[in-house]
Amino acid sequence: MAAPKVAVLFGFGINCDHETAAVFNLVGGDAERVHVNNFILGNRSLDDFEILAVPGGFSFGDHLGSGRLLGNRMRFALREQLHAFVAAGKPIIGICNGFQVLVKTGLLPGPNAQTPLPDFVQRASLTLNDSGRYEDRWVTLEFDANSPCIWTKGIQRIDCPVRHGEGKFVMPSTTDFDALAANNQLTARYVDPSKPIGQGMTDKPLPFPLSPNGSMRNIAGICDATGLVFGLMPHPEAVYAKWLHPDHTRKSAPGPPTSDVLGEWEGEGLQIFRNAVEYVLGNR
Amino acid sequence: MTITRVEVTPKQGEGMRDVRGDVVRRQLMSDHNIKVEEVRSINGFLINSELEKTEIAERVNDLFSDPIIENTLTDTLFLSSTEHFPNTPAAAITIGFKPGVTDNPGSAAYDGFKTIFPHHEHRNVASISTYHTYVFFGLPDGVSTEWLASTLHNNLIQRAVTADAAACSNGEWPAIDYPEKPPQTLTPPQRMDLEIPDEELISLSESGLLALNLEEMQTIQSHYRDETVRQERTAVGIIPDAPTDVELECLAQTWSEHCKHKIFASKIHHIDTETGEDTIIDSIFKTHIMKPTHDLQKEVDWLLSVFHDNSGVIAWNEDWSVCMKAETHNSPSALDPYGGAMTGIVGVNRDILGTGLGARPIANTDVFCFGPPDWEGELPDNLFHPSRVFRGVHAGVRVGGNESGIPTVNGAIVFDDRYIGKPLVYCGTIGIMPRKLPDGRESHIKTPTAGDIVYMVGGRVGYDGIHGATFSSLELTEESPSSAVQIGDPITQKKMVDMVLEARDAGLISCITDNGAGGLSSSIGEMATYTDGCEIDLAKVPLKQAGLSAWEILVSESQERMTISVKPEDCAAFDAMAQLHEVEATPVATFTNTGMFHVKYGEDTVAYLSIDFLHDGVPQLQLESEWRTPTPELFTPEAIPLSEQAGHSPLLLRMLARPNIASKESWVRQYDHEVIAQTVVKPFVGVERDGPGDAGVIAPIHGDPHGLVISCGIAPRYSDLDAGAMAAASIDEAVRNAVCAGINVDKMAGLDNFCWPDSIESVKTPDGKFKLAQLVRANRELERVCRAYKLPCVSGKDSMKNDYGTGEKKISIPPTLLYSVFGDQPDVRFTATSDFKNAGEKVYLVGISKEELGASEIAFMLRDSGEATGIGGQVPLLPNPEINITTYRALSTAIQAGLIRTAHDCSEGGIAVAAAEMCIGGRLGAGIDIDGTGDASVWSRLWGESLGRFLVGVQPEDEADFIEWMAGHPITMLGTVTDSENLTVSDGYDVLIDVDTAAMVEAWQHTLDMTGGVA
Repeated sequence: MAAPKVAVLFGFGINCDHETAAVFNLVGGDAERVHVNNFILGNRSLDDFEILAVPGGFSFGDHLGSGRLLGNRMRFALREQLHAFVAAGKPIIGICNGFQVLVKTGLLPGPNAQTPLPDFVQRASLTLNDSGRYEDRWVTLEFDANSPCIWTKGIQRIDCPVRHGEGKFVMPSTTDFDALAANNQLTARYVDPSKPIGQGMTDKPLPFPLSPNGSMRNIAGICDATGLVFGLMPHPEAVYAKWLHPDHTRKSAPGPPTSDVLGEWEGEGLQIFRNAVEYVLGNR
Repeated sequence: MTITRVEVTPKQGEGMRDVRGDVVRRQLMSDHNIKVEEVRSINGFLINSELEKTEIAERVNDLFSDPIIENTLTDTLFLSSTEHFPNTPAAAITIGFKPGVTDNPGSAAYDGFKTIFPHHEHRNVASISTYHTYVFFGLPDGVSTEWLASTLHNNLIQRAVTADAAACSNGEWPAIDYPEKPPQTLTPPQRMDLEIPDEELISLSESGLLALNLEEMQTIQSHYRDETVRQERTAVGIIPDAPTDVELECLAQTWSEHCKHKIFASKIHHIDTETGEDTIIDSIFKTHIMKPTHDLQKEVDWLLSVFHDNSGVIAWNEDWSVCMKAETHNSPSALDPYGGAMTGIVGVNRDILGTGLGARPIANTDVFCFGPPDWEGELPDNLFHPSRVFRGVHAGVRVGGNESGIPTVNGAIVFDDRYIGKPLVYCGTIGIMPRKLPDGRESHIKTPTAGDIVYMVGGRVGYDGIHGATFSSLELTEESPSSAVQIGDPITQKKMVDMVLEARDAGLISCITDNGAGGLSSSIGEMATYTDGCEIDLAKVPLKQAGLSAWEILVSESQERMTISVKPEDCAAFDAMAQLHEVEATPVATFTNTGMFHVKYGEDTVAYLSIDFLHDGVPQLQLESEWRTPTPELFTPEAIPLSEQAGHSPLLLRMLARPNIASKESWVRQYDHEVIAQTVVKPFVGVERDGPGDAGVIAPIHGDPHGLVISCGIAPRYSDLDAGAMAAASIDEAVRNAVCAGINVDKMAGLDNFCWPDSIESVKTPDGKFKLAQLVRANRELERVCRAYKLPCVSGKDSMKNDYGTGEKKISIPPTLLYSVFGDQPDVRFTATSDFKNAGEKVYLVGISKEELGASEIAFMLRDSGEATGIGGQVPLLPNPEINITTYRALSTAIQAGLIRTAHDCSEGGIAVAAAEMCIGGRLGAGIDIDGTGDASVWSRLWGESLGRFLVGVQPEDEADFIEWMAGHPITMLGTVTDSENLTVSDGYDVLIDVDTAAMVEAWQHTLDMTGGVA
């Protein structure tokens, strides 16, 4: 079966495009870095791809708010293409700046479970960390096992780095959160690694640096109501191999004992990308 | 045109914070111990457009504000709104840019403006300027608004408008206006009469910031007396018998110390008063740096390109080569720490992009030297407090590196009082490129031919950055020009990098170089040596503002520009690629083979210089050097009283808190060190990820564990005794750090970055001969050690005027060599980090401790505190480097073999500090006995900084193999890692140190955490 074609956006200050393409390729995807303007100008069509990734970076320098200017370009120029992409059941991931872009275009969290397809209305935001600082540090995440998110199936907990200055997830009211929670869309949360695996998730704000940014309800990532569109601030692609985990010289880097691509060295982050590739193959 | 004001402020309420305001509040507390109740912030936009204010007001939530988290007002100041600001503030301060200063948020806003008004006919003439307002509530008495404003802006590039308490009560709010650029008047090229007396030649050079000496001015003078030259000039219609201002400026840039390294190229008469040596050295560079590297190039097959390109290139494996370059940006960083440092890092990124046919920057290094951040002494006029320099420089490289998507994997921060006069800001970048391009060309070789079209790509040329190269060749004074300061624009550059690498892979580039010092005059001028000529039309160069004169266009160092040559048949494809990436690319010149650097402005020839004269016409300097050994008061630790009970324990905690040793984590964590998903050993390591890393290790090809090590060494303290020893120590430290990560010592390369005070004897520099002798000794040691280590210096740089002021008030930096190493790491799955791994691990010293406490960190600490009277004594030396390297090879291969996972370089603070740092990283204790580590005194064995030493941890089951592996090398068993959570160091039966690990963590982490927390 042909490998699922993955469009990895780049240009205008996106800067995790190389590694994001690489991790899809490691798990059987056929990833291509495509400049945003190639879609906007119609040189290329999103229809030709089965997965879309919006990688991390500093699109337009994050001036006027992270992800906003790239989000605007996509919201105004790619509205129909993006709507059709989700309607066709194709997965989208936004990582870090990509998550910010998806939130500012309104793709995340999206409307509601009854009318799940994109309406491009912004309902949430990612704002400056409470610390006021951009930081690169490792965090521990847990995932909602009941989430419709196709990206996180079967994953309980991973360690990976956050690298952002604007990762605090906010929504205007608690009812907004409750609605998302009811639909299990609060997919990824920062957790205290000393808690037993599977018991880390809590709505009560965790102290810095367990929660690196003061995110409401410790939210690290959310999905839309279809479960196809997923965004998160931390970088799972940055721990595709155990040798990238800070504990690897301590011989205690977590991850699967074996894998077909990296032997005993596969890192915890790779499964997220494998899930999407397998989802596409399973739904052909 | 109408100016529409849009203001945005964070919403208040449950869970919402005004983070920008909080940051100002915390920093006032952290830096000045001033407690302010609350600071709120407002972002402002001044939109200069032909749109109606109502049209803009309808779309503010689409662009300027985020309706989820922010409130916005159009054409009204928030401060005047009692709904949003019900309480009267104690002060309000608005900071905006001065006219013509790079306003990145403004440019981004303009880009977004075009997105939301795509069909508006006037959209292309709009421009947007941004500002910030800070509103203070609950300000303590005695804090003046002017002083507050001074902490928030740099008046070289920014403006402040303020309202104090009285003005606030009267509702007189600070309303900043749109920064209209003053019109520039184009001056036609001038005739520069050089038929003038010598004194006038000198004053012409000084007043014009040309930085040329009399002999150089006379060389230019005589060039224009040459009949052949005059005839050739007449033929092209340019003033025959005198230079134009364009030519004189071009020569000044090309011949500047910054570009031509005239001191390193000089003929030096060197005298050593101790040994009686009296010799002539014909170019330090050729003798001590170039020759050894070229000799080594004959022995190995992996040195692809050294010296002549923008960075040195080595073959890393069959498919890929890697390159590295480090630069300094000291003078700009002194004037504007933020902008100066940012242009430093994005500038050196362009050196990598301009290497061969274009390399991709994949890692940065940052090394800073500052005055003490807690300095309470006097500050010379026009200099910023060291803490402010620190914050600004850090912010500049943070933004420059992070926004460019290049991880900062290694660095250092060093403190000394004398860096108050001139901070040192070293920025380095590592690049990678495929050995062969798809079209079969080798990527490290440039292939221009006459007839190729030369493009300027990226940013535009402006009035900013005029005279950077010549300015950095002068000492800093109160009158230093603001035009030498720029702010980088990482996003413009990032777009350019994306586009250039695509163009490279498509085979469209025949030659590429960076526009840095000297601007187009240097970039096109240097590339023109390949084909022996060029013809430039300055009228084609896109400008930030109209009215720049020809010489300004030619020498402006405006940022984010590359110069790229393209074959005529490839121009259409190149243009299309630029358009897709929204990168400006303009053909401005053509390569020729006429032998001439021919510059036109439209039809008129404004400069006509032979390539030979331009590049090889500068006369060689003749300099005097004289060495006498400094004799500072001796450090005599035996006289220092120690507590009966605690022994050396309090000293350990004080040493860990020394800025030179203390953790820099709160600063370094703000750099992205993991983008590209390749960083294996991060700047901070260990169980809490807060122990010191020795070297950066990356695995840049995804899925492949083949690695690269990047490390550095710097030891300026030793220059107080012997700059030669300083150089040897820097190189050895860089190599040792790399060994700790398991570098292949047979495939590593180095970079020498010298920062020196003025070393040319003159009225301003009466001790120039001594300072030059320091340079001679440093270079001799560099050659000796690098030959022994078979370590080629593939690319280097020098910055030779690091002084402030004159006479009594002159501050000269200590001579400082930063040595960087990059090299092969065969398999990153087998590397080591400094943190102790577990109780039971055996601790070994590799190397020998000697009686070498001279200029040690402990000597400086105890002298600074008054407990000791001097720092003099035996400085650490490296007598037998050819033996050291064999030990390093053994240790590194032990790491590669998986025998060692714990290794730490032993440098500042000796074994005591190294062991403490390893306990901190592992949150473990250790029992260590330094008996048996040599004949030196207890103080030397505990605190001494003898070179060639490491502390390593070995698992008990590997101990026998390790001992066998290291047979023939000096190793000493020191003790065992424990879970007792304290470090004890004894000398036989005498307990010297017994300190809790938690206390060490606190001492080590506290000093430099200037973040003010998160509350």
